[in-house]
Amino acid sequence: MRTDALTKQYGPVTALAGLSMSVPRGEIFGFLGPNGAGKTTAVKLLLGLARPTSGEARVLGAAPSDLEMRRRIGYLPELFRYQDWLTAREVLALHCALAGLPRVRWSGAIDASLEIAGLTARRDDRVGTYSKGMQQRLGLAVALVAEPDVVFLDEPTSALDPVGRRDVREVLRSLKARGATVFLNSHMLSEVEQVCDRVAVVDRGRVVSLGTLAELLGGSRRVRIGVEASTAALAAAAAAFGIVERAGSTEIVIGGVEPGRIPDVVAALVAAGARIRSVAPESQTLEDRFLALLQEPDDADSDHR
Amino acid sequence: MHCFKSRTMQTLIIASLAIAELVRRRVIAAVAVLTAACIALTAWAFHKLHLYALAHAATITRGDEALANSMQVILLAHMFGMVLAIGAAFLAAPAIANEIEGGVALAMLPRPIRRRDVLLGKFMGLSIVTIAFVFLTGSLEFAVVNLYTGYLPPHPVEAMLYLSAGAVVLIALALAGSTRFSPIAVGIVAVALYGIAWIGQVADGLAAAYNNDAIRTACTIISLIIPSGGMWRGSSYSLEPVALAAASTQLRFNPITVTSPPTSAYLIWTAAWIVIVLIAAVISFERRDV
Repeated sequence: MRTDALTKQYGPVTALAGLSMSVPRGEIFGFLGPNGAGKTTAVKLLLGLARPTSGEARVLGAAPSDLEMRRRIGYLPELFRYQDWLTAREVLALHCALAGLPRVRWSGAIDASLEIAGLTARRDDRVGTYSKGMQQRLGLAVALVAEPDVVFLDEPTSALDPVGRRDVREVLRSLKARGATVFLNSHMLSEVEQVCDRVAVVDRGRVVSLGTLAELLGGSRRVRIGVEASTAALAAAAAAFGIVERAGSTEIVIGGVEPGRIPDVVAALVAAGARIRSVAPESQTLEDRFLALLQEPDDADSDHR
Repeated sequence: MHCFKSRTMQTLIIASLAIAELVRRRVIAAVAVLTAACIALTAWAFHKLHLYALAHAATITRGDEALANSMQVILLAHMFGMVLAIGAAFLAAPAIANEIEGGVALAMLPRPIRRRDVLLGKFMGLSIVTIAFVFLTGSLEFAVVNLYTGYLPPHPVEAMLYLSAGAVVLIALALAGSTRFSPIAVGIVAVALYGIAWIGQVADGLAAAYNNDAIRTACTIISLIIPSGGMWRGSSYSLEPVALAAASTQLRFNPITVTSPPTSAYLIWTAAWIVIVLIAAVISFERRDV
């Protein structure tokens, strides 16, 4: 899956401002951003639901309008609604038919997707009688029913309870196990953190950061070192490894320390006479990083002004 | 060939889905009950009139009775045609718009289906239901009238074809509107245009009787813009026995009868109009961001 300078204007509003990225096959790719960042727009352009103002999108090497390619994708929209006058089985049969799945495989595919989505018991009830959470589960079943190679999930857990969220994570892992590519739109950081191989953070229609979680979260981090008595000499020794953010009476906080150098920090402080009680490297969460990325000034924006 | 076959299949899937929706939402059941009641009521009324004519055979000839019956049948067809047009507009107006606004389209359109096949499927499904309804109800009504009075209009099949064509014109128009505008707006506009087209035909008859060319030109333009009026004219003419046409000529003008059917050229234009509107609908839908 690849986008090249993909841009979408809705009147004066820029929903997507030159999105360029690629997702290799078999990857769970997280598309992370605040509300209104352009996540749903990106998916709609990849699926051919909306036409780009400029730029290009390719899925499985084909244009979004390519019907052969569309046989191989599944999609759970953020705004999920299905024919409320049909039963779950009928909705799934409709999607089997539309996807061009051979009829002999319908029954097996429908039962399997109902099972995955946890809807087997309610399969013959009309969709109109479903709760919102169950409709989202049906949406997941619809996305999976035609055994897709690429699955687009737009906020797939927005209406689900914690059990449902765990179920979705398991579905994502099983998709990955069978080699499917997953494009996961989310503003739920924990969700992305637990399942995604790579993450793109988007804000105001552009990617502000892209990489593996380790790349995104890795690099320098903050270390809290508990000491019996902090001195100016200790602070000076610590400054060689990063920025001393705090040198309190019993704690020194050093920012921007390379993770591999933490033992060296401890050795240097001991050499400077410290009696160390604790060493606590802070692991930066995706949430910290996410918020930090969103707060960074937008170069392109300031260029215009 | 394979591509053509699969595309036809996709169109048929959408057509059968549209029909299934009308069945499941009990639209068909509701209309069937109302129609049955309506036919029973008219059967009773025709029967009563026939008994009255028989009782007064000295003053009411068989010809007089047939003339009265023919006018009744024409007026019934006008009423039926209007209900049909409003019904067709209200079925077609939300067909695309509701699915886009509600979100159903989001799940359907990424499937390997062209939007033109979705649109043609909807058109096909709604048209099949409407035409079937016209022929079932129309045949039943003509049969009932014939049973109780012995009267049969001169060209009942043509009349039903014209009524169907009028409804199909409205379906095409409302579907095209549905790709861009809200169902309420489309429904109201379609029904209003139907009314304008009909009054245009009546005014045309009046203008012809009084040789007013300006009004006739305006009426012709209206009939080209929205051909449902012309279809009304055709159905009306098909139901007119010679005796009624002859009796009408004694009046300079009356709004129940028409003096001529639509020309072949006009029928070709109507078919072309439907195709053009559907093409416009497809273009509009394909350019729409969902």
